[in-house]
Parts: sequence; C-alpha cells; structure tokens
Amino acid sequence: MEKLSIAERLGKVSYLNQTKTEAKPHIIVDTDICNSTCPHHCTTYVCPANCYTKDENGKVHFQFEDCIECGTCMFACDQGAVDWNYPDPEIGRGVKWNFG
Amino acid sequence: MDEKFDCIIVGGGIAGLSAALTLAKNDMKFLLIERGEYSGAKNVSGGVLWGSKLSELVPNYWEEAEGFERFINHRRLTFMDQDSSFSIDFKSESFNETPYKGIVVLRAKFDNWLSGKVDEAIAESKYPDESFIAPNILVEEVLMENGAAVGIRAGEEKFYADTIIIAEGVNNLLTRQVGLQDSYVPADYVATGVKEIIRFDQKVLEDRFQLDGLSGMSNEFIGWGTQGEEGGGFLYTNKDTLSVGLVLGMKDLREKGKKPYDILNEFKQHPTVRDMIKGGEVVEYSGHVVSTGDIRAMPKEIYADGVMIAGEAANLLMNSGKAIQGMDYAMESGVLAAETVIEAKEKKDFSKNTLKAYRHRLEDSYVLKDMKNFQNAVQLLHKPEMHEQVPYVVCDFGKQFFSVKNEPTPKTTKMLLKSVKKHSSLWTLLKIGIKGARAL
Repeated sequence: MEKLSIAERLGKVSYLNQTKTEAKPHIIVDTDICNSTCPHHCTTYVCPANCYTKDENGKVHFQFEDCIECGTCMFACDQGAVDWNYPDPEIGRGVKWNFG
Repeated sequence: MDEKFDCIIVGGGIAGLSAALTLAKNDMKFLLIERGEYSGAKNVSGGVLWGSKLSELVPNYWEEAEGFERFINHRRLTFMDQDSSFSIDFKSESFNETPYKGIVVLRAKFDNWLSGKVDEAIAESKYPDESFIAPNILVEEVLMENGAAVGIRAGEEKFYADTIIIAEGVNNLLTRQVGLQDSYVPADYVATGVKEIIRFDQKVLEDRFQLDGLSGMSNEFIGWGTQGEEGGGFLYTNKDTLSVGLVLGMKDLREKGKKPYDILNEFKQHPTVRDMIKGGEVVEYSGHVVSTGDIRAMPKEIYADGVMIAGEAANLLMNSGKAIQGMDYAMESGVLAAETVIEAKEKKDFSKNTLKAYRHRLEDSYVLKDMKNFQNAVQLLHKPEMHEQVPYVVCDFGKQFFSVKNEPTPKTTKMLLKSVKKHSSLWTLLKIGIKGARAL
C-alpha cells in the first residue's frame, strides 16, 4: 500500500460548510507567542491535520480550515498560544465523520 | 421548550446517550444536546466497545446487527521490531455467545444507531413530547446561579434544568468552565490517536482474517510501529473495512518531533501490517485526543451543585495492556449519572449533597475499581522500556527460536539471554516482570 501524504489524507475527510466563503475560526492562535518566546513550535509537527506550518523564515502560521477538532494542540501547547473552541455548527468549519 | 427539564445532557456520545436511555426508561424529562449533525458525527474511537453492558440498555441488540460492525472472538497482541512480529494469539468459540464480550464499532454509525434507541425510549415513556434530542447545537456555557449549575446557553438561547450531565468528551471545555478541571491540562496524561479506515471487498476481508459471519478480530501492536514514541498500534476488523491506527503519547510526540501521520505511514509499511492491509483503499483518515487512563488526569471532582461529569470528559478510560477501555466506561458512567438524577429528583435535592452519590456509585462500580487497581499497570505500560526494549527482545528471541539452522542448536535459555543482552538487560526485565506481575 502506498504512503499517503497528509494532503491526500485530508482529502478523505468530510468538512462542514465548505461552500461558505467566510467560515468563523474556532481556534485562535496567538502566533506572536509562537514566533517570539516559544522554544519548541510543537504544534507544527504534533497536529494530525497539519494546520500549523512554518514558512521559509521559520515563522509559525495557523489555518483552521483543515482542523479535524481533535484537540491535540490544546493539550500540546504549553505556552498559552492556543485558544481552543468547538466550531459553530452553522457558520464554523469542522468535521463530519462518515465512519469515525 | 420554556419549561425546566429534569436534566440537560451535553453531548450525544456514548456517555450522553446511555444517560439519556436510562432517563427515558425512568420517565424523566430531558434535553440532550449534540453539536454534530447527528450523534457520532464528531466522534472518533479505535473501536472496540468491551463488555456486555449494551445488552442491558438495548436487549438483544445483536438481532438487528445494525449498530455494530463485528463481535470479537479473536484477540491478538503483537510485539514488533523492524522486520518481525511475535504475537500472543487467542481465539475462542465461547466468545461467539451472546451477549458478546466485545464489539467493534464505527462511531458515526454506532452512536447514530444508539440515539435512535433513545428516540424509541422517549416515545415509549410517559412524556414522549417533553424529552428531546437536539443535534447541530453547540453548548457554549453552563449557566451558574449561586455556585450551582442551573442550565446551559447555546448562542442566544438558554435552557434550564435541575441537573446537568456534562458528557462532552476528552476536550472538556465545560468541565473546565464549571471549575472541576484546571483551565489548562498538560500533555502528560493524554495521547493523540490517528486512524485510517481501509476498505476491502467483504469476502477478501473475511477470508484474510478467517472471519465467520459477524465474528471479528482485535489486534494491538507494541514496538517498532510507533517509531520510538510511547504508545501502540491497533487493527480491528469491521464489516468490510479495517480500522488501523496508532495511539501516541503526546508528551513524547512533543519531545521527539515526529509527525503522527508520518509514523502511521511507517506502521503501515511494516511487513506484518503491510500484508494485512494489502489491496485496501483508504476511505477516511481521522484523529483525536485520547486519555491514557492516568488517574492523575481526572477532574478534581466529577460532581458539583447541579452538575455531573460522565465519560471521557471525566477522563474515564484505561489501557492496562489487556484492553483499551473507554467506551464501556462512558456507558457505565452515563447510566450511573442518570440514576443519580433520578435519585435527586425523588429527594428534590439537586445539590452536591445528593449528587455525590454519583461518585459513590462510580467508586462501587468496576470503572473506578479497575482504574485504581490497575493504575500501576497503566504507568508501567508507559515506561520507555515497554516499547523500546521488550518488543525487540521478544522478536530477537523469536528469530533465534524459530530458525532452524544446519548447526548445533543452543538451548532456549541461552537464546533468551542472548536476546535480552542485545536489546535490554536482565535487571531491567526482571524489574518490569515483577512490577508487571504485581500490577496485573
């Protein structure tokens, strides 16, 4: 069986409100903390949906659109940068598992 | 819905639905709020629901065979190094008897089915029009008055009840809001699970795993598959799919810097796993935080005035090495919380004086008894030796023991000592052995 990239894997996730151009973010990340005092940038590798990425300058960026609401970043970030909430069913993003 | 409910349940997972089923059967008026489009739409589990409690809640559930995938009559624990695997394999026809002792479930299907059973129970209760399951609604706040929980708020809407059961799962925001758990819970006591659903032709799957009718297999893995990180792998047979995944200790994940989905790719490439999943098609990828069963992660208390915490929101989960139990704990705790609601209503006292009976019930049940009794096993399982040394010793021994060479064969003890020396030490294994014997 071939190795799957994270993009291919996320292509197999059903997300809600995909047609809405402006969904409300359910997780707010204070990337100023990530990019100043955080010693590990752990969210950029622990997140199972690769929502946290580093650019060529090593700066941390966050996007909520691919989030699968797993909760990993809420526990893993010990720097207080992650304000984690559940997505709003009407205007938020988030998942709908077909198998679960 | 202006009137006050006997109970509001937040979360339509297994804990919430089991509570609801119990309340409906006892003619209570309740509101169950689920944030997913349907029960199970937001839930992920490995997937085995152990024990037979379900048959008490839904008698003869196996006759429909709609909610669950397969029953377990074949269990396997596999130690792996880079190219070998050594399994303890147990299969028993006695596990074919109903009520089953373990069933494989897919939550999007199972929880949805169970919520249908709650609907039926509501319809048969004395108040068919006064209890509700409300999906697609997010509870944002538990309303408090004079230190007691009195209701919930979802957007602009407020609903009131004598008691609230919080069954929101491991990401327990409301449990934190009501002050029963710290606002930040460290990574030390949780893990991240990642999983794929891999589809096959049903006949191929049944032949490959020697399944008969609805029989199924559970296989846990320890060793190479987690690429040096604390945790383990799993493979469960569904009707025509496999659930294949890993549970990785989050502290280790943070410290070692590997990505969980990359580790999953490696796990799937191991020859033993590769041969089992060959030819399948990945139809879903999922992930979720999971408690590890460390009792230190439990909320400070599981009840307060007007409120109780059930299921994984209270970190009720255990992996002692024998089975990963979480969904059965959710079911048991949901039922016990509901029984406490019924008692509180009889007494007309919804303060913690009455609700502490929920803790007593849980202490008297197998849930907290087992979590306490096997706490040492839980902690032993998380020691680095368990995934870094033991599986390698076992596989190295296997390679010696099972290879026949055209030369004089050493005695088995000598082989074992050689493997121990290569990957661990006698002293380390002796300590683990003694601790393990005591813990289990």
